[in-house]
Amino acid sequence: MKSRMLLAGIAMTGVAALAACSTGEGVDLDGADGRVLTAAIAGEPDQLDPHKTTSYFSFQVLENIYDTLVEPDENLEMQPALAEDWELSDDQLTWTFSLREGVTFHDGSEFTADDVVYSYNRIIDEELSNAWRLSAITDITATDDTTVEITVAQPTPNLLSSLGGFKGLAIVNEDNAASGDISTAPVGTGPFSLENYTSGDSIELVANEDYWGGAPEIAGVTFRFISEGSTALAALKSGDVDWTDSIPAQQVAGLEGDDTIVLGQNPSNDYWYLAMNQAKEPWNDVRVRQAVAYAIDRDAIAQVTSYGTAEVNQLAIPKASSWYSEYDAYSTDIDQAKSLMADAGVPSAEMELLVSSDYPESVAAAQVIADNLAEIGITVNISSPDFASWLDAQNAGRFDMLMMSWLGNIDPDDFYYAQHHSAGGSNAQQYSNPEVDALLDEARTETDTDARKALYDEAAALIADDASYIYLYNPSVIQAWTPELEDYEARGDRAIRFKNVSFSD
Amino acid sequence: MRAVLENTTVRFLARRLAYTAVVLVGVMVVVFSIVQLVPGDPVRIALGTRYTEASYEALRAASGLDRPLWEQFVGYLGGAVTGDLGVSFRNGEPVTAVLLERLPATISLALAGLVIGLAVALPAGIYSALREGRISDGIVRIASQFGVSVPDFWMGMLLITLFSSVLGWLPSSGYVAFTDDPLEWLRRVTLPAITMGIVAGSIMTRYIRAAVLDVASMGYIRTARSKGLAPKVVTFRHIVRNALVPVLTITGIQMATMLGGVIVVEVVFAWPGLGRLVFDAVASRDYPIIQGAVLLIAVMFLLINLLVDVLYAVVDPRIRLS
Repeated sequence: MKSRMLLAGIAMTGVAALAACSTGEGVDLDGADGRVLTAAIAGEPDQLDPHKTTSYFSFQVLENIYDTLVEPDENLEMQPALAEDWELSDDQLTWTFSLREGVTFHDGSEFTADDVVYSYNRIIDEELSNAWRLSAITDITATDDTTVEITVAQPTPNLLSSLGGFKGLAIVNEDNAASGDISTAPVGTGPFSLENYTSGDSIELVANEDYWGGAPEIAGVTFRFISEGSTALAALKSGDVDWTDSIPAQQVAGLEGDDTIVLGQNPSNDYWYLAMNQAKEPWNDVRVRQAVAYAIDRDAIAQVTSYGTAEVNQLAIPKASSWYSEYDAYSTDIDQAKSLMADAGVPSAEMELLVSSDYPESVAAAQVIADNLAEIGITVNISSPDFASWLDAQNAGRFDMLMMSWLGNIDPDDFYYAQHHSAGGSNAQQYSNPEVDALLDEARTETDTDARKALYDEAAALIADDASYIYLYNPSVIQAWTPELEDYEARGDRAIRFKNVSFSD
Repeated sequence: MRAVLENTTVRFLARRLAYTAVVLVGVMVVVFSIVQLVPGDPVRIALGTRYTEASYEALRAASGLDRPLWEQFVGYLGGAVTGDLGVSFRNGEPVTAVLLERLPATISLALAGLVIGLAVALPAGIYSALREGRISDGIVRIASQFGVSVPDFWMGMLLITLFSSVLGWLPSSGYVAFTDDPLEWLRRVTLPAITMGIVAGSIMTRYIRAAVLDVASMGYIRTARSKGLAPKVVTFRHIVRNALVPVLTITGIQMATMLGGVIVVEVVFAWPGLGRLVFDAVASRDYPIIQGAVLLIAVMFLLINLLVDVLYAVVDPRIRLS
């Protein structure tokens, strides 16, 4: 008996002794400015080539390594970055960008107009995943070292947001890209340069002292990959990390009163939606789709997926955006839904609802939706494969209804044309409405902002009326950081920018 | 006499190695087929949700996925023989280099987990067997049943909550190489190793208890007792020593399992080992990485089995290797 107590005592002493040997995280010897920021992100980048990756984890890192010609401010208006200013010809077909002088890449080479031409041509010629964003461009020419001329086939009012909306259009270094090093050791012009990459563990960036926007105050940023939210939060609270976005939605309420951390919540431009396969009966009948839209309980869905952190919405665009328009045709109305089903002559139906286990919120939402639709005679079978299989099923049209989200939306052309135009590349639900097509085609080239917005408002209302998509809600960007971190804000476009942050003493 | 022994040993080893090679080729065929059969197109995953069909075709061709399957397999086998396991779909890194980079983290965690497991299992298993049927035996058996049943995910969370969040003694996650900073490695390996050690230790405890009871009921033990040997001598020199032979097997299996990377533990503690690599690679359908990692795990399994067989021969002269 005694000996067992002794053993337990020895074991505890051992752990305590280990604790005592702490090397002291976050010790900085040269004042607050010499401190490195440690950020815990929820997964590992698949690769660091900004033109090839589609992973959000990659862009969290790349946001701090690369620049684009222009970049969005907090209101998502495009501001000068590598381009100092630009002019548009009277016929709206030639954009002339004047580039910033004296900018260097992290390897010391000079940034010139040739780098811009190389970067855009690389995306177009190699058919990389963002090639569609540059589809309007017919020619890119460097007229001198600091001037780039871009010619478009038709007026393209959203060219700036295509070029600057996210780091997939970053200006890369030709030697770095051609050698293939770019996928693990990218060289950019941004505020931080890559110092070290430990596979599976972390990526270390150091401040770029020659950054054109001024050297960052912090010494660097270390991104650690912690996919388990509770682990990341424990690391944040113990001071092991300074910032994280690996936060389970159900823990947000518990963090709100916690003064050892700062919680940043901002409605994002992302949206979750439902889409029914219009190549299949009875989903080709607009009345049945509307019945589904009336039957679902958006508030309940947002509650189970986001624990009150999301904003329900019947259209794609959140309130904070300048493209927002009012729309509230649908409310939960079972009687209305039943009478629509009766009009359509569909007393009952079976539906395969395709969600993905990689997105637990979609699985949770599916349970609520199944419950809602049972009330109007629709039997829902939930299928929740991993995301890879989900994509296969979507592309092959093996679904009756699916649920998914779209991220990082800035210009309406990005998310209406691809998803709802008959010729759209992501129109898996096979929606086709000539009126919507005409509006989207016209809005694409309309250069007057107010007139353009009016066109999108009209198209958006039609899309919702036809229930091409049933929009559900805009999730919040949820991040948490140490109170010592200053001048950081959680942005609606989920861009993680550390160039202007500092630590208080 | 010695020459004869060496001959049989050499012949035994040669046979084992040939057998190992056959198994490895079998593993490669199976793994290659399985990754191809799993639904989910690696190219579509890499492209995300917005792309054109032209982008899709271009990337498929670049990954070599547009070639016939048999051609892909022959190319893979040819490369594997020379140690070239291809390149990762995700970032174009050579698979061999990626595996070697991940191996130290997994090996160091597995060894730490095994040490903790044995430190629990040896005393608990022996003690429990010697006190068969008493209350203390019951306590050990219930505790080991608990240890086997407890989900390691939950155990890991519990340890993080206690030692990092509440007490603030140990970091919740992350890895530092033993060669860079042994002390920091120890601080970071402790919690994941305890998580793994509790499960492995519980399994081994039950095994050791059974082995000791088995030996204790044998005739020669009764003989030893009746000859009037001191109880301690009987217990340790005769029972425990002989009981440890079968325990080698279970220890080998536990070690091999841990070397495969305990996925859940590595994910919870953000430990950059093989388990997490496989987890990520399966999610993105990174065929070359999955194939390479499974091959490496199979090689380690076979090597440990070989080692256990050889140790058997060393500790038990009666075992004639047939």
